[in-house]
Amino acid sequence: MRTLASLSVAALLLVPALCLGEPATVIRATELKQSPATDAASAGQLAENARVDALERQGGWTRVKAAGGAQGWVRMLALRYDGGGAARPGDSGIAQALNVARTGTSGTQVTTGVRGLDAEQITNAKPNTAELKKLERFSASKDAAAAFAERGHLHAQQVSYP
Amino acid sequence: MQRLALLAFVALAAAPVQAQFNLRNLNIDKLMDTAKNVAKATTEIGEQEEIGIGRDLSARLLGAAPLMTNDGVQRYVNQVGRWLASQTERPDLPWQFGVLEAPQLNAFATPGGNVFVTRGLLERMKSEAELAGVLAHEISHVLRKHHLKAIQKGAQTALAGEALQQALANRGGANANREKLISLGSEVLTRGLDKGDELEADRLGVAIAARGGYDAYGLPAVLQTLQAMNPQDSGLALMFKTHPAPAERLDALEKLQGLLDAYATQPQLAERFAATARARR
Repeated sequence: MRTLASLSVAALLLVPALCLGEPATVIRATELKQSPATDAASAGQLAENARVDALERQGGWTRVKAAGGAQGWVRMLALRYDGGGAARPGDSGIAQALNVARTGTSGTQVTTGVRGLDAEQITNAKPNTAELKKLERFSASKDAAAAFAERGHLHAQQVSYP
Repeated sequence: MQRLALLAFVALAAAPVQAQFNLRNLNIDKLMDTAKNVAKATTEIGEQEEIGIGRDLSARLLGAAPLMTNDGVQRYVNQVGRWLASQTERPDLPWQFGVLEAPQLNAFATPGGNVFVTRGLLERMKSEAELAGVLAHEISHVLRKHHLKAIQKGAQTALAGEALQQALANRGGANANREKLISLGSEVLTRGLDKGDELEADRLGVAIAARGGYDAYGLPAVLQTLQAMNPQDSGLALMFKTHPAPAERLDALEKLQGLLDAYATQPQLAERFAATARARR
């Protein structure tokens, strides 16, 4: 069972994000690029409000498939999604992985007993000091965080606030 | 109010002389405490007090949703968050980060360095850079004391009258005032901050994620994920009530394209993010 669950998680993680394509619209006339760079060769033109399927993101660029079938890269921020509920948990495999992590080997999602976190719950909540203590237990020191960053090859930059 | 004061006075007058004296002293102390509290509501709140308010408010939030039971994920989020906070002008606050066990999509900050993200939002993320973008947005609220200022503003009007009433009723004035103050905090969390505060936190958040060495497009990517969801999804209700629409936030971030592009090729760490989610601890 455990192996099965791991396998299914592994399979999910192999699926690239957005591989099925999410319906979106370009908010202005945009050049379709052959690669994700401003100076890349053109792969066609998209009119304002053109419909596309978003396939994957790389930095500030998203690879799209236009209605006519042409594929290329557009500015990520030039895209607005349809908001039709296209992105469901599990798109990236993370949700499934977290579910498995939560529920041991069964891989089934446990939703019973989850009270949720809406305005009403926050307003009526009584303080939970035990959980507050637990929160403290997980905190990281500056040094530990710096070591963690180094393991991820993250390099601190000087960036002014815009 | 007047009637209450009169009643209190009658009660005092009826008490034996010695007790009356003590009671009177007690009342004067309490009144002075109250006066101090009211004065504080209009003046600067010190860092220790800020941290204390944040802790009490966090305890309330944790009363609504406990921490997700996955130590590995909790530690991971703390490392990402503390690394980002280290790149800011308040690196030495007692920063604490937590994943709340809730299916809704949201993130919260409380004064003094507590930041929370819900399991529901974490599940929609695709990389550590996206997590960093969200945490950096919340860190910015703490840096600019957005919630603290909103609580202070509420205290100016709401606490003064309440505090006086409590003093006259001769109850534990300081504790009741405290209770009120924290309730003001809960109110800010459910009502939301000013739109300007949210957009400022987006701008600063993008810069802080870039400072931490992450792909600066993490936060915009999360906003696009939110925008792609059905706005009627009940998991989005509180987040959408308390924040500008994702499309509006993305429009505002487009003005920062220069900054975003300058740090777009920094690591996203999608693999480390996925591996942490996979680990069963």
